[in-house]
Amino acid sequence: MAGGGGALEIPERQKRGKIVRRKKKKRIGFRIDLTPLVDITFLLLTFFMFTTTMLKPQIMEMRIPPEMYAKVEVRASELLTLMLTADNKLYWYKGIADQNNTPQEIPISKLRALAIEKNLEPTVKNRLITVLKISPEANYARVVEILDELNQAEIPITEAISKEVDEKGEPMKRQRKFTIAPLTEDDLKLIQGEAK
Amino acid sequence: MPKIKKKRMGFVIDLTPLVDITFLLLTFLMFTAKFKSEAEAEKQFTIRRPTVSPDTTKLPERDLAIINIAIDDKNPLDTSYYYGLTNTKDIPLIYQLIPEIPPEFQTKALIKVDTTTLGKLIRATLSVRSSTRFAIDADRRIRFKWVEDAMNILRRNRAFVFNFVTDKRQSEEAQKTEKK
Repeated sequence: MAGGGGALEIPERQKRGKIVRRKKKKRIGFRIDLTPLVDITFLLLTFFMFTTTMLKPQIMEMRIPPEMYAKVEVRASELLTLMLTADNKLYWYKGIADQNNTPQEIPISKLRALAIEKNLEPTVKNRLITVLKISPEANYARVVEILDELNQAEIPITEAISKEVDEKGEPMKRQRKFTIAPLTEDDLKLIQGEAK
Repeated sequence: MPKIKKKRMGFVIDLTPLVDITFLLLTFLMFTAKFKSEAEAEKQFTIRRPTVSPDTTKLPERDLAIINIAIDDKNPLDTSYYYGLTNTKDIPLIYQLIPEIPPEFQTKALIKVDTTTLGKLIRATLSVRSSTRFAIDADRRIRFKWVEDAMNILRRNRAFVFNFVTDKRQSEEAQKTEKK
């Protein structure tokens, strides 16, 4: 632009009577080499990708009562007994087992449906006590599987019970009664009786 | 007429989107990564946990005492109890209450124990920090007897609430793919 930018012009200098014109330097845009930065980034990325585990373990909470030696009396009709034998077979019976009420074998896949059905029977609703008798030789994974099925059954049971109202007119609260006990010789005889 | 030779030009690939994504992934992984506790790092065995339905409850990271019931990697018939603590500050305080623990193990966050020492450790843990939570991390292949004994030891030492450590059950499709 003619006449403009005079202040920015490079002043001329005089050297021994000669006019020296300073060379106009061409302005060049600067560049930063990003290669080491990207190298380190990829290195860190690879490290974190290989060491990160997305699958975190989860937990199943258990509450056990303190040791009790006093006998607690319960109604036999409100008792659902599940028995897990050493060969990982599951049996069940309701009430007291005898010749007419022998333990029945049940696959674990059908346990949830059984727990829901028995817990929602009108005569024992919200009062049923589930006893899980486990043989010390049974597989631990199978025990956890059974506990998981019973926990899953609690969802529809709680939902059905909460639809009803108590004497105060408030939604009924689910009272889960569950216990674990060792499988005794007598229990095994009951199962063997069923096999005969 | 001779063909005009085109001057060969070097090509340039724009790496900006690649670097963008890399930085994004790096930042995500850096913020979400959690490093192993000392007790976990000292593990000399692998635990194959039982699988259950997906749940939102996760294993607590602070003030946790884990009873590991593991099968020896080299000898599958050898099952042992291990006691691990995540709170490293409590370790010397707890261990000094139990004379059975040899001095070389005093700094370890995970030690192999027998049932008697396990009971003493549970009691000492609760006396040092009563808010400590307990977990049983057992291998799915073991017999229930091992877990039952651990549960009875917990009960005898007044630890009435504890957790079973489990893994999320994969969907049937994922299991089929794994088998293939």
